[in-house]
Amino acid sequence: MDWRQLWEISSAPDNVPIVGLIPLLAFYIYLAWKQAHANDQLITQLEADPAMAKTHHRKTWPFKPGWQKEVHVWPFLLRIEFLAAIIVTIILMIWSITLNAPLEEPANPNLTMNPAKAPWYFLGLQEMLVYFDPWIAGVVMPTLIIVGLMVIPYIDTNPMGSGYYTWKQRRFSISTFLFGFVILWIAMIIIGTFIRGPGWQWFWPGQTWDHNRLIYEVNRDLPDLFGIASNWGKAIFGAIVVGGYFALGGFAVFSLFRRYMPKDFARMSILQFSITQAFLLIMLALPLKMMLRLLWHIKYVWITPWFNV
Amino acid sequence: MPDKPVPDNDPIVTKSYAAHYMIAVTLLTASLLWALWDEAFGMRPWKAYQHEWKQRYTAFLKSASSKSDVSQKEVEGSSDYQKLKQDLDQATQQATPHVRDLQKQIGDLSAKILAVQSVFTDRRAYVNALTYQIETNPSSKQSIQKDLDKYKAQTATVEYPDGSKQPYNFEQLEETYNSLKDQRAKLNAELGDTLKPVTQAKAALDEYVNDHMVDLTPAQIVGLEKKTEDLDPSIQQINVAEANIVDRCESCHMGAREPVKLTAASMSEKGAKAPDDFAKAFVSHPNPALLQVHDPDKFGCSPCHQGNGRATTSIEKAHGNYEHWLWPLYTKQNLEAGCQTCHAADMMLVSGDVGWTISKGKDLFRQRGCMGCHRYEGYDKEPEELQSLNQQIKQLEGERRDNTKQSAYLMKRADAAESNDEANKLNDEAVGLRVANSKIDGRLQQIDFRAHSLMQDAKKVGPNLKDARLKLNKNWIPVWLKKPSEFRPGTKMPNFRLTDAQIQAISAYIWQSGFTDSLPHQKPGNADHGKELFETRGCLACHSIGEGDDLQGGTFSANLTRVGEKANYDYLVRWIHNARERTRPYCPYEKKDIGPEDYAKKNLPYVFDLAHSKCPNDGHELQVQNMTVMPSLRLSVEDAQDIATYLLTQKKQEPSTYADASFMDDPKLKDEGQKWIRHYGCAGCHEISGMEDEGRIGTELTFEGSKPIERLDFALFTEGAERGKEPITNPEDLARLPEGPAKAPWYDHKGFFEHKLAEPEIYDKGMVKSETEALRMPNLHLAKDQVQALTTFLLGSQESGLPANYQYRPQDTRRDIQEGWWIVTKYNCVGCHQFFPGQDSSLMKMKKYQDADWKEQLPPKLYTEGARVNPEWLRRFLANPSLSDTDTNRNGVRAYLKVRMPTFSLSDDEQRKLVRFFQALSQQPLPYIPQSVPTLTSKETEMARSLFSSTAAPCLKCHATGDAQHDAHATAPNFLLAKERLKPDWVERWITDPQAISPGTSMPSGLFNHVNGQWVFAGPTPPSFQGYTQDHTKLLVDYIFQLTPEEQRRVASSMGRSTASNSAPASKKPSVGATRHALPHSGASAGGSR
Repeated sequence: MDWRQLWEISSAPDNVPIVGLIPLLAFYIYLAWKQAHANDQLITQLEADPAMAKTHHRKTWPFKPGWQKEVHVWPFLLRIEFLAAIIVTIILMIWSITLNAPLEEPANPNLTMNPAKAPWYFLGLQEMLVYFDPWIAGVVMPTLIIVGLMVIPYIDTNPMGSGYYTWKQRRFSISTFLFGFVILWIAMIIIGTFIRGPGWQWFWPGQTWDHNRLIYEVNRDLPDLFGIASNWGKAIFGAIVVGGYFALGGFAVFSLFRRYMPKDFARMSILQFSITQAFLLIMLALPLKMMLRLLWHIKYVWITPWFNV
Repeated sequence: MPDKPVPDNDPIVTKSYAAHYMIAVTLLTASLLWALWDEAFGMRPWKAYQHEWKQRYTAFLKSASSKSDVSQKEVEGSSDYQKLKQDLDQATQQATPHVRDLQKQIGDLSAKILAVQSVFTDRRAYVNALTYQIETNPSSKQSIQKDLDKYKAQTATVEYPDGSKQPYNFEQLEETYNSLKDQRAKLNAELGDTLKPVTQAKAALDEYVNDHMVDLTPAQIVGLEKKTEDLDPSIQQINVAEANIVDRCESCHMGAREPVKLTAASMSEKGAKAPDDFAKAFVSHPNPALLQVHDPDKFGCSPCHQGNGRATTSIEKAHGNYEHWLWPLYTKQNLEAGCQTCHAADMMLVSGDVGWTISKGKDLFRQRGCMGCHRYEGYDKEPEELQSLNQQIKQLEGERRDNTKQSAYLMKRADAAESNDEANKLNDEAVGLRVANSKIDGRLQQIDFRAHSLMQDAKKVGPNLKDARLKLNKNWIPVWLKKPSEFRPGTKMPNFRLTDAQIQAISAYIWQSGFTDSLPHQKPGNADHGKELFETRGCLACHSIGEGDDLQGGTFSANLTRVGEKANYDYLVRWIHNARERTRPYCPYEKKDIGPEDYAKKNLPYVFDLAHSKCPNDGHELQVQNMTVMPSLRLSVEDAQDIATYLLTQKKQEPSTYADASFMDDPKLKDEGQKWIRHYGCAGCHEISGMEDEGRIGTELTFEGSKPIERLDFALFTEGAERGKEPITNPEDLARLPEGPAKAPWYDHKGFFEHKLAEPEIYDKGMVKSETEALRMPNLHLAKDQVQALTTFLLGSQESGLPANYQYRPQDTRRDIQEGWWIVTKYNCVGCHQFFPGQDSSLMKMKKYQDADWKEQLPPKLYTEGARVNPEWLRRFLANPSLSDTDTNRNGVRAYLKVRMPTFSLSDDEQRKLVRFFQALSQQPLPYIPQSVPTLTSKETEMARSLFSSTAAPCLKCHATGDAQHDAHATAPNFLLAKERLKPDWVERWITDPQAISPGTSMPSGLFNHVNGQWVFAGPTPPSFQGYTQDHTKLLVDYIFQLTPEEQRRVASSMGRSTASNSAPASKKPSVGATRHALPHSGASAGGSR
C-alpha cells in the first residue's frame, strides 16, 4: 500500500473537492433517505386515518394541537437559508485562504503532461472517452444529457413529492436520479481522479503511479469475436446487436414499468413513455458498455465508417 | 421522531437560532479577519523581513557609527587633515566679513524689491487686462487706449521698508523694479565668487576624509540610518522591461546592495547562538566586485541565480523550489552555472581564471572527451567545419566540371551558328563560364588553405588507433579495455563495462584494421640519462609518473607509471621525438589513408608534412599529423631513445606475462568488433580505420539544462528520486557524489546529472535490457569536485531567455582573450607557464622545483608577455621556439633552461590568436608599431657601457652571451635578442622593478633609485655621469637595444669573462615548416617525411 501516493492524489488542490464530495454525498443521501422514510411513515399513517389527515400538522412529530400546518417563508425558511449562506461563506473563505489556485509551469507545446486530466467536473466526460469513440462520448452523449435533463419536466407526470422528501411516492424518479448522478457522474469522476494514472491506466488506490508501467491488454471489437471481417458485415451485425438491445430492453422496461408502477404508467402518454424508455435505455447502456470493456476487453459493438458504438 | 420527547410548541415556529447565528457570525468574522491578515501579512512574508531589517540594520548602523566616529577621529588626527582644515578655516576667515556685508546688502535689496513688487504686479495686472481689451475690441480701441495711457501716467506710491515713500508712474515703476533685481543678481554672483575658496577647501577636506576612512564616514552612516528609518514596507523591485526581468528578491534580501559589509553574524540578534533566517537573508552580496560588473539594475538577480523573481508569497516560491517552477535557485555548489546564461561562449570568465567551478567544468568537458560523443555548441568545431568544407569542395568541383562541359558545348554551337551575332553571343557565354571556373579555382584554393589550418587545429582526445599494431603490446589491449582505470587510475579513457565477447571483438577490429607499415629500428638508449631528461625537459608539466603519494607531474596527460607494459620501443622513440609524425597521411576527401603506392602512381616522393600536405590523388589537403596535442620537444634522436628506454623500465609486470590474445587475429571477429566500436562511439575520441566520419552517438548537451525534467529518464528511480532514496550502491561510485548519498529528494536536473556522472549506468539498474539497448555512457571515474564542476556546467547549459545583447560576445580585445585562452588550455600551456598571479603551473607544484636552485629553472611567467615582446617576434617564436632552422635542439631564448619550450606546430590561425591573446592580456594596442630607439652618441655609449659593465650590476654575469662555457651558468637571456624581441619601454619598467612584473625572479630589484624625478643608478655612478639629467634606465635600455655581438664580446672580456660568441643567437629569418627536424641517423627526415 503506497500511502504517500494516496496522499499526493487526495491532497492535490485540484482533488480536494472530490475528496470532500465523497463523505458529503454519502451524508446527504443518508439524510434525505431518513427524512423520506419519516415522511413515508407519516403518509401511510394519514392515508389510513382521513380524519386525522385533515387536522394534522404534516410534520413527522406526533399530532399536537396548535401546531401550524403552514408557516411563512419569512422568517421561517429564510432564516435557515441565510444561516446556510453564512456557513458556506465561511467554508469558501477558509478554503480560499488555505488552498491557492493550483498553477503549474508555463505551458509547453512540446510536452504533454501525463496523465492529462480534465477539470474535476468534466472527468466523467473524459472517462466516457475510454468507452466510446469521441463522436459519441464528446458530442452525442453530452447532448443527450442536456436534452434528457430538459425533458424531465415534460415526462415526469407524477404530481407527488413536491416540497417534502418521500421515497414511496417517487421511487422511479429517485432511483433514476441516483443512478444517473451517483453511478454515471460521481463514480466516473472518482475513477478519473483516483484510479486513472499515467497513460490513463487503471491503478487501484494505493498502487504507485509508475510512469514506466507497462501492461498487456488487447481490446477487440464484438464482431471480431464472432469472426465477422467485412465492413458491411460488421455494420449490420452491430446494428442488429444494438437494435436487439433496444428492442429487448424496451420490452423489459415496458413490462416492468406497467407491472410495478401502474399509476405512473397510467398517467403517461405514449410519447412521454417512449421518451422515458429511450433515455433510460441509453443510460443503462453506459455501465453495460463499461463492463464489456473492463471485464471482457470489448472495444466497440457496432462499427460503421461514421461512428462506433 | 419517536425516540425524542415531543416538544410542546411547534419547533419550526418557536425554535431559536440565536446560538447558531452567534457561532456562525463569530466564525465569519474570524475568517474575515484571517483573510485580512492573510492579505496583509500571510501572503506578504517580506513585510516581516523588512520589519526585522529596520530594527537590525539600525542597530548595526548604531554600532558601526561609534566605530566610525573613532576611525574618523584617527583620520582627523593626521597632519594632512589638519593642514586641509587650516586651509578651510583660513579661507572662511578671509571670506567672512565680505560675505556678511554682501548678505546684508542682498537682504536689504530683497526687502525693497518686495515693496516695489507688490505695487508693480498689481498695476501690471490692470495694464495687461486693458491691453487685452484693446486687442479684442477693435471698435472701442481708441477710447480704451486713452484710458490706458491715463492709467499709466498716474503715479502710485511705494512705501519702502525704511519708511520712505516714493511716487512712481507705471514706466518708472517697471524700471525701478528691473534695476533692483539686476542689482541683486550681481550681488549674488559676487557672493558665490567670495565663497568659492571656502567651498573648494571644504570639498578637499571631505574628499580626504572619504578617501582615508576604511568604512563609511559618520555622515554617510547617518544618511543610511535615516534611509532605514524612513523605509516604508514595500516590494523592492528591479524591472528591466527590455529583458523581461522582474526581480523582487531585494524585498527580503535588503542588505544585498548596501554599501557596508553585512555578515550573517553581524545581522543576528544580540545573544543569538546561530544566525536565523532573517540574518542569513540580510547579508551583503558576497562578491560586490561581480555586482559592479553586472549592475543589478540592468541584470536583475534571476538571470544569474535563477528562482522565481516575481514571486513574493513564500520563500519556496521565490526561490523557485517547488514542483512547477522550471528554474529553481542554483545551490551554492552549482552557483556558477548562472554564468553560462551569458558566458556560454567563454572558456575564461575573468582575467584571473583561478578556482572557478564553471571553468573547470568547461575544461573537463573538453579534456575528458565528452564532446567526442556529445555535441555542444562551440566545442570541437573543427571537424564540423572540415566536413562542410569537404562538401563545398565537392559542390565546387561539380560546378567546375559542368562549366567546362557547357563551355565546350557552347563553343561547338557557336561554330555552327547561323549568324555572326549569335556566334558572338555563344562565344561570350563560353568565355564567361571559363572565367567562372577560374574563380572557382580561387575559391577552392582558399578552402584548401582553411582546411590546412583546421586540420592542424583538429585534435582527438585519445590516441590514433590506426597505429595500434605498431605501438602496443598486443596482449595488453584486452586487459586495458576491461577496465582502463584499473591499469591507469585517472586516465581519460573511461570504463565501458564491456563484456569479454565485446572486448575480444573490439580489440580484434582495432588490431586487424591497424597499419602494418614497418618502423625504423631504434638503438637502445641510456635509461639513466633518459630519466634525467624526462624529469627536466618538461615532460612532467603534462604527464605524471608514480602512483599515490609518489605521483609527480601534471594530470593533463597520461600517467606513465606502467607504460613499459604496453608500449613498443621503436614506436615510442618516434613518438617522443615527434608525436605528430604520422604513419600514413589521411585524405578526408577520399576517406582513406594514403600510402606510398598513391604517391608512386603520380611519380611523387613519399613525403608528407605540413609543407607537403596535398593529396597526390585529388590535390586537396591531407591530415599529415597525428591529431594529438603532444608537441615536439625538438630532442635529438639519441635523447628520444634514452627517454624511451627509461620509460620502458616503468612497469609493474613484464609485458610477456600478459595472457595470450591471439583471438585478435580471428577475421571473423572483425565485423562484430566494428559494430561495437560504432555502438560505443570509440571514434569520437580515437582515430580508427574506416570510422573517420562517424557521428557523435550521444545526445546534444548545449541546452541540456533546460530540458523538461520529464525528458530526463530517471527510469525506475522516478519515485525513488522524488522521495530521496539513493539508488547507487557501489561504494566507489557513491564516493563520486559531490554531496554524498541522497538524503533529500533529488528529482531535479542537479540530481540527475550528479547520479549520471557518478554512475552512468545507474538508470539501467533493475531494467531488463539487451546489450545494445543498455546505456552506453561509460564511467568516467570522476572525483567529487569534477562531478560537481560538470554538473554546474550542464545546469547552466540553458537556452537563455535574455535578449541577444545580454550575451557576452565581445568583439574587442576581450574576444582575443577568450579565443587565446581556449588555445592555452587546449595545449596545457598552464602546465609550465603562469598567466595570472595565483594560477600555479604543474611544474611549480612539483617537489623538485621547491628547491631554490631549481626555482630558477622554472619556465618564465607570462604575466606581461604582451607588453614585453614584439608581437611579430612572438609569432615567429611560437612557430619555432628554437628560433633557428638548423640548431633546433635547444631553447631559442632561455638556452640555460633545462625545460624545453616545445614546438606545438600551431596553425597560422592559432599563432595569430595567441599573439593577440598576449597583446590583449597586457592591454597592448594592435597593430603594433615598433618604438624607435634613439641612436646614442659615443659619449652616451661610453656612459652606458660603464653602467652595463658596472661591478655593482654585472649584467653579463647572469645573462647569456652565446659563449658555451659562460652560458652553462647563465640564468637569463642573451641581450642580443632584445632588439628584435622586446619592447624598450617594457625593458625600462623591468629593470626598475622586476619583482612587480615577475614576482620571484632572480633579476635583482633596486638597481635604480628614483631621485627628484630622475632614475639614477643605485650603485656607485661612474664620474662621467656628473651633471647627466636624463634617466639612467633609459640610457641603459637604449644601449641594450643597440648592442652588437662585438660590443658584447668586448664588454664581456673587459669584465674578465671569456669571450662571447660572434654569432647572434637568433636567426633573423622567420622560419617555415617549424616541425621538421632532422633525424640524422636513419637518413630520413622527420615530420612525417619518408
